[in-house]
Amino acid sequence: MKVSLSWLQDYVTVDVDVVELAEALTMAGLEVDALSDRYAYLDGVVAGRLVEITPHPDADTLSVCKVDVGAGVKSIVCGASNIKKGDLVPVALPGTQLPSGDTIEAGRIRGRVSEGMLCSEAELTLGTDRSGILVLPESSVPGRGVAAALGLSDTVIEFDLTPNRSDCLSVIGIAREVAAILGVPLNYPEVKLPSGETPIEEFASVTIEVPDHCPRYAARLVTEVHIAPSPFWLRDRLNSVGLRAINNVVDVTNFVLMETGQPLHAFDFDRLAEHRIVVRTAKEGQIFTTLDGTERNLTDEALMICDGKGPVALAGIMGGLESEIEDDTTRVLIESAYFNPITIRRTAKRLGLSTESSHRFERGVDPEGIVRALDRAAQLMVQMGGGKLAAGVIDVYPRPIPERVIELSVDRTNRLLGTGLSRDAIISHLESIEFEVEVLDEDRLKVAPPTCRVDIERPEDLMEEVARLSGYNKIPTTQPVSHVVAKEQEKRLRVRDLLRHVLAGCGFSEIVTYSFIGEDACDRLLLADNDPRRRMVSIVNPLTEELGVMRTSLLPGLLTTMFRNSTQRNENLRIFELGRIFLKTGHDELPEEVEMISGLWTGAKHNSTWNVQEEKLGFYDIKGIVDTLCAALNIPHVSFRALKGPGHPYLRPGHAAEVYSGKKSVGTVGEVTGQVLHNFELKQPAYCLDLNFEEVVCLCFEEIRAKPISRFPATARDIALIVDDAVEAQSVLDFIEGLGQELIDGVEIFDVYKGSPIPARKKSMALRLTYRSFERNLTDSEVNSIHAAVTQKTLRQFKAELPAG
Amino acid sequence: MKEELKKTEQEALKSLEATSDRQGVNLLRTRYLGRKGVMTQCLRGISTVPAADRPEAGRLANEVKTRLEVAFREAIERLDADSKEPSGGLDVTLPGRSFARGRLHPITQVTQAISEIFLRLGFEIAEGPNVELDYYNFEALNIPKDHPARDMQDTFYISDDVVLRTHTSPIQIRVMEKRSPPIRIIAPGKVYRVDSDVSHTPMFHQIEGLMVGENISFGDLKGILTTLVHQIFDEETSLRFRPSFFPFTEPSAEVDIQCVICRGKGCRVCSHTGWLEVLGAGMVHPAVFEMVGYDTDRYTGFAFGMGIERIAMLKYGIDDIRKFYENDIRFLEQF
Ligand SMILES: [Zn+2]
Repeated sequence: MKVSLSWLQDYVTVDVDVVELAEALTMAGLEVDALSDRYAYLDGVVAGRLVEITPHPDADTLSVCKVDVGAGVKSIVCGASNIKKGDLVPVALPGTQLPSGDTIEAGRIRGRVSEGMLCSEAELTLGTDRSGILVLPESSVPGRGVAAALGLSDTVIEFDLTPNRSDCLSVIGIAREVAAILGVPLNYPEVKLPSGETPIEEFASVTIEVPDHCPRYAARLVTEVHIAPSPFWLRDRLNSVGLRAINNVVDVTNFVLMETGQPLHAFDFDRLAEHRIVVRTAKEGQIFTTLDGTERNLTDEALMICDGKGPVALAGIMGGLESEIEDDTTRVLIESAYFNPITIRRTAKRLGLSTESSHRFERGVDPEGIVRALDRAAQLMVQMGGGKLAAGVIDVYPRPIPERVIELSVDRTNRLLGTGLSRDAIISHLESIEFEVEVLDEDRLKVAPPTCRVDIERPEDLMEEVARLSGYNKIPTTQPVSHVVAKEQEKRLRVRDLLRHVLAGCGFSEIVTYSFIGEDACDRLLLADNDPRRRMVSIVNPLTEELGVMRTSLLPGLLTTMFRNSTQRNENLRIFELGRIFLKTGHDELPEEVEMISGLWTGAKHNSTWNVQEEKLGFYDIKGIVDTLCAALNIPHVSFRALKGPGHPYLRPGHAAEVYSGKKSVGTVGEVTGQVLHNFELKQPAYCLDLNFEEVVCLCFEEIRAKPISRFPATARDIALIVDDAVEAQSVLDFIEGLGQELIDGVEIFDVYKGSPIPARKKSMALRLTYRSFERNLTDSEVNSIHAAVTQKTLRQFKAELPAG
Repeated sequence: MKEELKKTEQEALKSLEATSDRQGVNLLRTRYLGRKGVMTQCLRGISTVPAADRPEAGRLANEVKTRLEVAFREAIERLDADSKEPSGGLDVTLPGRSFARGRLHPITQVTQAISEIFLRLGFEIAEGPNVELDYYNFEALNIPKDHPARDMQDTFYISDDVVLRTHTSPIQIRVMEKRSPPIRIIAPGKVYRVDSDVSHTPMFHQIEGLMVGENISFGDLKGILTTLVHQIFDEETSLRFRPSFFPFTEPSAEVDIQCVICRGKGCRVCSHTGWLEVLGAGMVHPAVFEMVGYDTDRYTGFAFGMGIERIAMLKYGIDDIRKFYENDIRFLEQF
């Protein structure tokens, strides 16, 4: 919403600096977005004194002027005849853009140098006269701006209004606030109408078929109108807020719209069939051409203004091409109505059409301001167009908008705000913005807001008015009295924190990616057709197709992040994300949101350093991260099983495992397949972990019980086994543990070897067993005999052999 | 004699313990083991011992002497190793062998910092779904369908009744539906709006706060938010409350803080106003309380919300919000 200071001053006297006023309005809830100099467009136009005028030698109608523009004398070719030597005139210097859009350039006119242009009043949009050059007052200083020379100064104030303040979508609305803030009176424009002769009812009629959509419709008729350009003051007012002047009738409707906030529509009365207005809804699928020439496809929700034959306007949004005001229009029917805000909003939204009118109707216009605005427009139209007014007004008001009366308690106001305002102070704040207040008793007030304040419904709304007018910053700052005892943080928050810090300790940096991804991510991960992760939640209106569905895995985000980093040559990455995935369920309207923790490791295994051989990153490194996490979170009975089957086609077979706690699967870990890397435009091997955070939270065992530790020393013995290649280390460890030998304190695998001299399809596996007692020192012979027995049983179990020699 | 030897040994070892420089150790050594030292005297004294006891005394004396020699030799070796020899030393300027260290995302760090402030103030943390019912995201917050306030937030739709939440406010409703006052919660989380440029990403983070009880006032809201801002930035940062509009609060306020970059003098970051808009807040609208069945005569409360990215950008001096989601490791490793 834009308002010019000069227009504002038609209704209220502003005796403070405009910057100060803007600040005060902002602090009262009307946020000022920008202040701009109305005449900034005249910056390149300076005053110049004509020092010489000679006829152009090669053109009868032109003369060559020498003009002193302060910084020197310019030669300018000019066609006007109203100027003489010694006059001061506006000079548009090269580079200046005129309101017409033309940019002045230095050049030659009929062979003579011309370094600028002398301008008329109309060319500078300072008036209508285009017959000659504007002559500036004698006091003008050559070289200074023409705006200063003419004493022109105006500021355009641009507001960023909140949607509740429809009352401020007008100059008078803003003026009302200014008056309250500055404590000065608000002067409404005086409306005096000629009495008119023939009653309007003899010409026209209005029927509302759908009063719920159109609670009120008023009209006046002006006859014998002469369509012409508006006078300068009216065009200047419209220009000042960025509206284009069209003709006297249309300009008046726009002027009154801006002045009062009430949208009006002017119909060419002679083009209204049967001279009647019918307000009804459209037929489903009906086509209507709005005055911008666009064919609109309507639904039966759209509210139409019709004449005796058919629709003539899309109510409250835009007029139709057929009944537009034309140059030959002589009789004008002015419409001023109150349309149901929801009706207008639905249609405007559906058509994607937002106009000055629809913007105001959607937010609610003043239901009691309808006729006032109509009268104002009629008065101006008679004035501008030299027309005659038909007597009386048509005002069909089948659904009166009830007046609101709200009871306000002084005590409750002060308690909610935390203030100690007196009853009188509250009353005077409310009255300053035209609220009517009646005192019921010491505490209670009966308040009737002005009808333009459609946002005021409850006592709290009144409290806000009091608060904003007395100043939010004057409300004392207090601390709430607390009866709440601080509670322990929820487990999932603690686990989340721990996970993040353990991973960061392992060198993994956290990333955050968008929750939406491209639908093709599933194809890129090679997911099977029946994979549950293919049942994605899609967005109806995505920003782009690549952000079209809610993610069902964090892996695409990690791989995409790896890609983005690889384009920047960031080749060594350890990253993780902790976030939700979204799985469609058959039974619920909302998807299941599952929190996952996923990580990716690619590139170097260690920080680069000197004199140390770079080791290759492998499966056991990423697995080690999972081991560390499980240990840190105290997850019980962790085991890994080689991944089999089609569930995880993005992990390399034989280089990936499923992670279990007991019988519960917690997630997967492994190497990304070459094909999937290729699908994400990656080349470098990458390893990832993908754990279900919900399971992790459940399994994380927070209670710690210290176990006793033995004070006797341990003795170690090794076993080397030659076993089938298929024998998994875990099974050997599980077997030895299952023997139940109490003196075994620990078992550790310290070497696995394949190749000569070990026979094909066999491997050697070396284990170190630690023996220890809680009661005594163990003797060598005791340990030897137990170890021999364990070795024998293990050999037998795995059909293993001892290495030769 | 035996007693005397024992005493001498103890004395020598005690003196040695008390000495930590090479010169002192050498002096002591001369005193005890030198040609005219204490031990030499002792050995000489053996001749005065009765002949029968002489072999025993001699053995003892030699044992003590040997032990002392070992002790002195070790002390000297220790001191020699500690005193650096330039020829055998290391180039200490070569880089150390560091461990990789990961960082938490700046959004996480700021969220945690803010959460901790509220945890200390007795607030609990609540969460809710990202894919949310229109009812919780809008209607229960007093934003009916066809209300112009819906234009304030460009919404991603899943269906007519399901949206990606446009703010963390629906969590307020979900909490109030389940519990009765007093309530003190904060709710951090991801939110989504159809928007993308230098200062907007289609997904961003908010933190919501809600306090409901008896006699909670706008002044209290000012108090809590002042504490918050002072803890995030510093005690010198002033706040400004401006009237605004949110359908779910009344009165509503927009909270500006004095520009932390220019300290209010005016700069590019604050568009030369000296103020930065960081928070939206207000007293919970009675219509919202009615939706969750709270007694509006008895309870009042306040709610507020702020963008995490905005705070992170100010705190870390980041000028492009998209950096948070590009996840360039060189960016992330700065935090
Ligand atoms: Zn600044």
